[in-house]
Amino acid sequence: MSAFNSSAPPSKYVTLVSSEGFEFVVLRQATYCSPTIKKMLDPNHQWAEAKAGRCVFPEISGVVLEKVVEYMQYWYAYREKEDVPDMHIPVDICLELLQAADFLGMDQ
Amino acid sequence: MHGIRTEPSEQSTTLVNKVPNLGTAMLFAINMSGSNNRPQPNRRGRNIMGPQSALTDFLASHNISANQIRHEHEERLRAAREAAAAQNGETNTSNGTTPAAPADEDNGMLPDSHATEDMPISTTRRRAPRKGEITEQELKRKKNQANIDKIKASKKRKTGKKADSDSDFLDELLTRSAPLPGQMENCEICDKRFTVTPYSRAGPNGGLVCNPCGKELDKDNPLSKKKGRKPTGGASGKRRNIQSKILDGTYRIGAPSMMTMCVKVLVKNIELADDLGDIPPTAIDKIARNLSKNRMVDSRTLDLFLQPRAHDVYVYDGAKLSSHDIIRIFQRVPQLKNLKIRNAIQFKDEVMEYLLSRDIELESLYLSGSNLLSTRMWNRFVVEKGATLKSLRVYFTDKHFDDTTLALLGTHCPQLKRLKMRHVQAVTGAGIKELANVKSLEHLGIQITHNRALPDVHPDVFVHVLDGIGGGLKTLSLTMVPTADNSVLGAIHQNCRALQKLRITDSEVMTDEGFVRLFSGWDNPPLRFLDLSKCRHVDSTHPRENPDSVGVGSNGFRALMKHSGQKLVHLNVHACRHITKQAFEEVFSADKVYPELTSVEVSFCEEVDDFVVGSIFRSCPAVQTVNVFGCMKVRDVRVPRGKILVGVPNAQGMQMEGAED
Repeated sequence: MSAFNSSAPPSKYVTLVSSEGFEFVVLRQATYCSPTIKKMLDPNHQWAEAKAGRCVFPEISGVVLEKVVEYMQYWYAYREKEDVPDMHIPVDICLELLQAADFLGMDQ
Repeated sequence: MHGIRTEPSEQSTTLVNKVPNLGTAMLFAINMSGSNNRPQPNRRGRNIMGPQSALTDFLASHNISANQIRHEHEERLRAAREAAAAQNGETNTSNGTTPAAPADEDNGMLPDSHATEDMPISTTRRRAPRKGEITEQELKRKKNQANIDKIKASKKRKTGKKADSDSDFLDELLTRSAPLPGQMENCEICDKRFTVTPYSRAGPNGGLVCNPCGKELDKDNPLSKKKGRKPTGGASGKRRNIQSKILDGTYRIGAPSMMTMCVKVLVKNIELADDLGDIPPTAIDKIARNLSKNRMVDSRTLDLFLQPRAHDVYVYDGAKLSSHDIIRIFQRVPQLKNLKIRNAIQFKDEVMEYLLSRDIELESLYLSGSNLLSTRMWNRFVVEKGATLKSLRVYFTDKHFDDTTLALLGTHCPQLKRLKMRHVQAVTGAGIKELANVKSLEHLGIQITHNRALPDVHPDVFVHVLDGIGGGLKTLSLTMVPTADNSVLGAIHQNCRALQKLRITDSEVMTDEGFVRLFSGWDNPPLRFLDLSKCRHVDSTHPRENPDSVGVGSNGFRALMKHSGQKLVHLNVHACRHITKQAFEEVFSADKVYPELTSVEVSFCEEVDDFVVGSIFRSCPAVQTVNVFGCMKVRDVRVPRGKILVGVPNAQGMQMEGAED
């Protein structure tokens, strides 16, 4: 199931898991907007996450992680574009999202 | 000619194509807003209008339909008559309760004899009165009935429903009972009587609600709020926005960071927040900055940022804070070390009095605009709290904070490393001279020329200060010093050994030779930041003649780049107009590389042209922005990818990054 063979190229997709166990399969390139996740998945470091292509976040709830994943796709889609349209962020999870953004290092 | 002729025809076809779409869209919109419970029997009449009376016009403008009123009146009359007829024991099988005459949809004519004979129901209807007497009223009633049937049928056709469903008919009966715009109705929620308008909201149980209750409903349901689209200003507005961002230095490619987006949302809804909770300090700072930008820091929002265990409080805009609010900062944050308040208008004597009475030992204080704070209290602050003070920044004080305050710094602030003053109008040369005694100073920034009543600071004052503390200075910023001359440069050369940032602006007497002497053989390591803007010859009568080579000239520029080029990050020679093209070409020649230079400001250096700008891009691999405002010889530069060139006078405004790699 997981690619333990380090010589094989890593999968294009990785799995992010929320605290409740919701799984989100995301484009690997898109997750690189978070330096934290990028480091977790770096094949040079032999982290378990890098080997399995699967990151578990016990601190982040499903609702928040869903938004984070949405942002990742948004970031990936517009990474080279000017004049990026706004992404909707619901007010009620804003603070949690802010914490998650800080945790994932997404402040650049 | 041919092309011109075909164009309009194309246009017209597109128009024709568009019209039906528009029509359906409008119909749809009407159906949506009409929300089932309002009958629209006369919609067609609204579109095609014959001659109308003024009253009808007036009523129509108030959404009252004469047709509708007449129609309802007739219906009431008919109902009354039918009730009477039923009492008379007459059996009338077709008294209008049967669903609208089936299969009669296409028959738009009045029911004359040909039509009635085709229809069984109508025949019975006709037969029944034949038993009795045929009165004129009866005929009229039949006519009305046919009209109603017709309207019902056409309505059904429009809504695309089958006419034979009982529930549809019931719906129709129910909708008939809803009031029209302009009529009165009881609110479904509060039971108050109100006038129905086309905008009256439907209540949760299908009735209508009055305006105040409707607003309440909207509040509960934020999704129903239609967000107004931001005015973008079209293509030119977008371009203008982008250019404005470039000039602000906030332009970026790609999506904003998630933290930025969250902070924006949070700031918009700050009134919902009671407590920011466990947010990291960087995010809190971002929120504070964003709030200040919108002038939203007031008594209420200030509390969100006062955390009891914090060491730093940065209020980026304190204009709305009262003295009491500022006192509350000291009450709520007892371990305060670093305090910054911009626009701290209400930082008055009583606030300082409170601060002095507390056990708070500030390490840095940044106050701008506190012009109600008296010199006496400033002096008391320096004397009583100066022992721990490491940084003091004072901006825009009016007539307080004067020479006596500066004189106290040397004796009472043994740790003071950073002192900045700008627009501090009461300070004169005598006060600045006292800074020579503040031996711990590492960063010194002075701009005091805003009081025209006082004489300019004599250059000897700066020389005296530099002789006293020049050796330890890392930052020296002398902004707007028109009288500072070569002796100041000489003192810098003589004393400074640790300088990283140097700013001397607006000097009208420093000469090229002076700059050459400063930078040649200077034992100071290369500078990181150099700003010599507007050091140039100023003479309105003979602007072109510069016999004494006043200002930064070619040799001075060569010397400074030779000394600091390898480590320089920011270079600003704004309006140093005596630097020649040759000097620029030499400094930025193909074999020279300035690896760390990221921003170059050469605006109003008139000799700068396309080649020089190209050379800058070549010699400075790390450069991000080059400012060339007022460089009229810069016309068409090839800008490398990702680099920004600001201030090119062309039709597109400020050019930014080019596509060339």
